[in-house]
Amino acid sequence: MSYKDIRKCNKKQKRSSHMLFRETGIKTCDRSRILMICNAGLVSGIQREEVINLFLPFGKLEDVCMLPGKSYCFVAFRNEEDAQEAYSVLHGKTILNATEVKLILAFVESVPKTDHDFKSSSWPNGLILLKDFITEVEEDLLIRCVNWDTGAGNSGRALKHRRVRHYGYEFRYDNNNVDKDDPLPEDLPKECSFFEERLFQRSGIRFKPDQLTVNEYHPGQGIPPHIDTHSAFEGIIASLSLGSLVVMEFKHTDGRHASVPLPRRSLVLMTGESRYAWTHGITPRKMDVVVLEEDNKFENGCLSVSHRGTRTSFTFRRILRGECCCNFPLFCDSFKKRESSSSSFKIESETANDNIDNRVAAKLESMHVHSVYEEIASHFSETRHKAWPNISNFVNDLPPGSILLDVGCGNGKYFGVNKNIFEIGCDQSIGLASVANKRGFQVFTSNCLHIPLKPGIADACICIAVIHHLSTKERRLQALTQIAEVLRPGGQALVYVWAKEQERDKVKSSYLRQMGKRNSGKSDEETSHKHCVSELDLSLPVHKNRTDFQHGDLFVPWKLKHDTDGKTSKEVPTFYRYYHVFEEGELETLSREILDIRILKSYYDQGNWCLLMEKSKE
Amino acid sequence: MKLLTHNMLTSKCLKGVNVGYPLGILAKDVKVSEVDFNPEFVSRIIPKLDWNVLWNAADSIGHSGELPKAVISDYENNQEFLKKAHHVLMEVEVINGELICPESGRKFPISDGIPNMLLNEDEV
Repeated sequence: MSYKDIRKCNKKQKRSSHMLFRETGIKTCDRSRILMICNAGLVSGIQREEVINLFLPFGKLEDVCMLPGKSYCFVAFRNEEDAQEAYSVLHGKTILNATEVKLILAFVESVPKTDHDFKSSSWPNGLILLKDFITEVEEDLLIRCVNWDTGAGNSGRALKHRRVRHYGYEFRYDNNNVDKDDPLPEDLPKECSFFEERLFQRSGIRFKPDQLTVNEYHPGQGIPPHIDTHSAFEGIIASLSLGSLVVMEFKHTDGRHASVPLPRRSLVLMTGESRYAWTHGITPRKMDVVVLEEDNKFENGCLSVSHRGTRTSFTFRRILRGECCCNFPLFCDSFKKRESSSSSFKIESETANDNIDNRVAAKLESMHVHSVYEEIASHFSETRHKAWPNISNFVNDLPPGSILLDVGCGNGKYFGVNKNIFEIGCDQSIGLASVANKRGFQVFTSNCLHIPLKPGIADACICIAVIHHLSTKERRLQALTQIAEVLRPGGQALVYVWAKEQERDKVKSSYLRQMGKRNSGKSDEETSHKHCVSELDLSLPVHKNRTDFQHGDLFVPWKLKHDTDGKTSKEVPTFYRYYHVFEEGELETLSREILDIRILKSYYDQGNWCLLMEKSKE
Repeated sequence: MKLLTHNMLTSKCLKGVNVGYPLGILAKDVKVSEVDFNPEFVSRIIPKLDWNVLWNAADSIGHSGELPKAVISDYENNQEFLKKAHHVLMEVEVINGELICPESGRKFPISDGIPNMLLNEDEV
């Protein structure tokens, strides 16, 4: 390092040290077994696995602490000498990812407390793991008994991110349920006949499955978090892991989270609360964090990463005859059916399931997004002229001759920021597109679910405040997939969506701050006031403007005209715009389902969740 | 719609259409207006284009002018060539007309310079 570089590093180190003390009360020091990475954390898009992979060569690791919303993280070695060694090799030298930023390290006195840990005490109630449930010979036999090519109808097929085969009954992914009166011609394979007796011997539980789903996951593949539909299956779900270890993520809506490693040849049983109230899923990635077997207590255990191989899971379930009568009504479709049998169908944002039907979704967006923008286009355009700095910077940094696509360009707020690139915009609204066109920009009308451009043509893409108008997860994912498709390899996209969290680190977003200027009101009103769309048999809460969000799916009213003096003399028409406001991590999780993109940066900006992603170069 | 935009548009989102490229042009009104010439921009855009499609599009609306049928070597340093490309890419605009899908014949109207690529629910 040159003298100048060393000075630069020291300066950054000092700044981080002040920030750390201010935010956590932890001090930096001259020697310790704990290192702080000052300029890489969850916010800058680095993952725990990458941190472990980077530091593992220097010695045993006891903890890696990643704080949500922070751009720094911590690595605790078992021995101080190893931390010293890592510091001398990595500090100021190693470049992380493609960020072009050199690692800045510092010794710290302790690690802040987090709620994320790997201890089995934090596992969901009712979760049982039986290790070595089968032998290697049995494992091989089972993997080979699956014939992926045959199978009636849709019982065997490749889903977007994994291969699936059903026996006994078909699990349908369109309605997340089974047709209980229509069993498949093929019963469970005879190779599985040992299961019931073996389970009884090992656990004392009597369980006779009549449905089997086999999933095959390659490294990098996963399954989104979900709760198996209550009314479809009985209270035990048993899943056998073959071929490779994987970490399954369990999440509760109250914020609890557990990462449970499922070793090869183990059987995991989800019963009670773990089956009915926790979501389970597999994050699509190529390696997992694991605690080494030598000592199981995390306080003294060592962290490592496990590289995934191909994992085949055999999930045994039993079809539920009748409706579910569990004690977890918040997550129970049978309970909701009973509740709402008389009134119209409501959306409950508390559940992990996506409840808006796909056919309803297109209609809802057409009536409560597209038509509304068409009606309010000119008024809306008058209120949208201030460009957001982080987006302007992204556009400005594009090299001359770049092709930039603006998906949902509106009135073309970001056009003309950089004079040396070619910009092309699309919008569903003819009214807004013609405003942009009159300003001299290239636009066409199209829906963001079907972008009519040559794949790989765009060097960059922005999609600002668009995807939150799509009313199902599938559609939101499709929009992101379309963006990925139009990017050239190595091309980057910047996506902004409205955040459910309008307050961050005790700072209110500008959206909330403007409340004072207008009539103030309590956000509780959102919970009581609903707008019913009778054509769709759907009712959604109406948001009180300039207040916190109480729901994920809602209507935001738009009043067409204000009198210039602020007094409204006559009744003004109100339009209801549909929004899906994103929770922390939701946009990121969604984008991880797209295989050929990589997240460069994930951050919060003035009430929005933002994602900078790159199309992979291969 | 500039011909540079046309060079990227497809009808691939239509059900049953595979490539949907290039789209045919039926021009009713064409406008030519002066746009500042930026040689660096033009020379960097050229490798991203389908030149053949550009030439045929220009020709089909009667504006190929002196544009060579193929990209010449060393075009980066040939001001004359870059100016001709600039003219066809940036200065010629279809204001009213239609784009036509090469596979299905579906027409997309262009009005006031804006191609309408919106599809009906049953077309996707």
